[in-house]
Amino acid sequence: MKKILMKISYCLAIAAFLGATAAAHAGLAIIAHPSNPIAGITADEAAKIYLGKSTSFANGRRVVPVDQRQGTRSHKKFYKSVVKKDDRALKSYWSKLLFTGKAKPPEVIGDDQAVKKWVAEHRNGLGYVDAKVLDRSVKVLLVVP
Amino acid sequence: MKKQLLSALGLSLCLGGGAAWAEGITFNGFLTAGATYGDSEVGTQDGNINNNVEFTNDTRIGIQLSAEVNPRVDVTAQLLARAKEDNSDVVADWAFVSYKLTDPLKVRAGKLKLPTFLISDYIEVGYAYPWIRPPQEVYFSNPISTINGVDLLYNAYFGDFNLLIQPYFGQSKGGEALIPQEVLPLLTPPPPPGTVAYLDFTAEEMKGINLSIGTDFFTVRAGYLETKVNAPFPGIDDDDVEFYSLGATLDWRNIVIYGETFERKIDGVANLAFPNQRGSYATLGYRIGKVLPHVTYAQLDEYDQEPFNPAAGYGQALEQESVTVGLRYELGSGAALKLEAQRVEPEEGTRGLLIGDPNDPALDDPSKSVNIYSIAIDVVF
Repeated sequence: MKKILMKISYCLAIAAFLGATAAAHAGLAIIAHPSNPIAGITADEAAKIYLGKSTSFANGRRVVPVDQRQGTRSHKKFYKSVVKKDDRALKSYWSKLLFTGKAKPPEVIGDDQAVKKWVAEHRNGLGYVDAKVLDRSVKVLLVVP
Repeated sequence: MKKQLLSALGLSLCLGGGAAWAEGITFNGFLTAGATYGDSEVGTQDGNINNNVEFTNDTRIGIQLSAEVNPRVDVTAQLLARAKEDNSDVVADWAFVSYKLTDPLKVRAGKLKLPTFLISDYIEVGYAYPWIRPPQEVYFSNPISTINGVDLLYNAYFGDFNLLIQPYFGQSKGGEALIPQEVLPLLTPPPPPGTVAYLDFTAEEMKGINLSIGTDFFTVRAGYLETKVNAPFPGIDDDDVEFYSLGATLDWRNIVIYGETFERKIDGVANLAFPNQRGSYATLGYRIGKVLPHVTYAQLDEYDQEPFNPAAGYGQALEQESVTVGLRYELGSGAALKLEAQRVEPEEGTRGLLIGDPNDPALDDPSKSVNIYSIAIDVVF
């Protein structure tokens, strides 16, 4: 009996440890306003929106993407894993569109908390935040591990 | 000029980049600071590069203001100050209103940048391309950089492909053409050889189209432009100009390639200032971490041009070839340092794009070619 109890508590300890670890590296969540009927978004669709190649969600609704400040963890992760462009390539890309008046990069809002608040208040908003800050004020479209 | 540049720079640094002054208004800018040195008494034909260290050829600053009036309408203006402009005013390089008709289709009206070549659109933004300046054998050929008029931007995405169809229509007043050295003796009184002088001209009924297709890592484009040129010089009256251009660029797995070619034909006495020419260049580079070394071969030729005959209105077509080796080094975010060495060799007995023949026996140190060394820092903010 004692042996079983020890085994169970040992397993629970490991499970708790793994759970905690998983929560600490929860990943990046791409979020939208709760009223947005869209079921989800692919990394490719998100990348196109953030590069100004698309101005609407897959369901036709106008999209207003917002960025975090350069240097935040989420910004680094988003551009590395979803958009897949390094800083030089991204700046070069936008130089050619911005300074020719063809397109503008997304507005910079701030950090995880600021982006979550903004998306919760804007019907057409799209943003990315650390999954840690998620709550019911926003709808999760995609999680990038 | 220096004062203007410094105060504009100070203002822009204070405001910071990409700042939103008010809801919907954004501000961005770019800056190049550059120095040049040529190893011959014979420098470039516009006098900006010679055998002294000069800062005028490439130094410039641009500030762009953009305001969203509503989701369909944008107003954009770009102020540009170039060290090589004679006047000390900051000029509005372009300013226009754009209206989005449908998602891929926009119409723009105002003073627009003319998309003659691959990078013409953003030629002032040094950060956006590998060289300090794009190969002059191609880029010198169109002295008109902006058009007052209207254009249509059909910019659509099909899977990974981007298609751009951009027709435009308008005119250019206040353009300036460098008076070729061979034409100076025709002026009264004739200025001495080596004088850098400009002729005002207007281009009317400008119509053309820019077409491009590409993906994230390559682009192919073609362009056509026709216009009528007028100038206060006897006989330059509604002279026809035709321009064809083709270009391609690749940026794939750190391999960087650029290549372009053009042909231009000018009828009438305007041919004295703008002879028929054809030119091309090819650039190959390879990115290794923060460094991009590159090499360019460029060539300028006559194109179906009659021999020089001022009385009949035939100008002197210029011919040259050049090889440039360069290095671009990324300095942190939004800044790059560039170094270049170029060997320019005029051909067929012409002076090429230089102000005279570098092999003239009357010079202290005649040589078939001129070496031009340049350094520049490009910043976007």
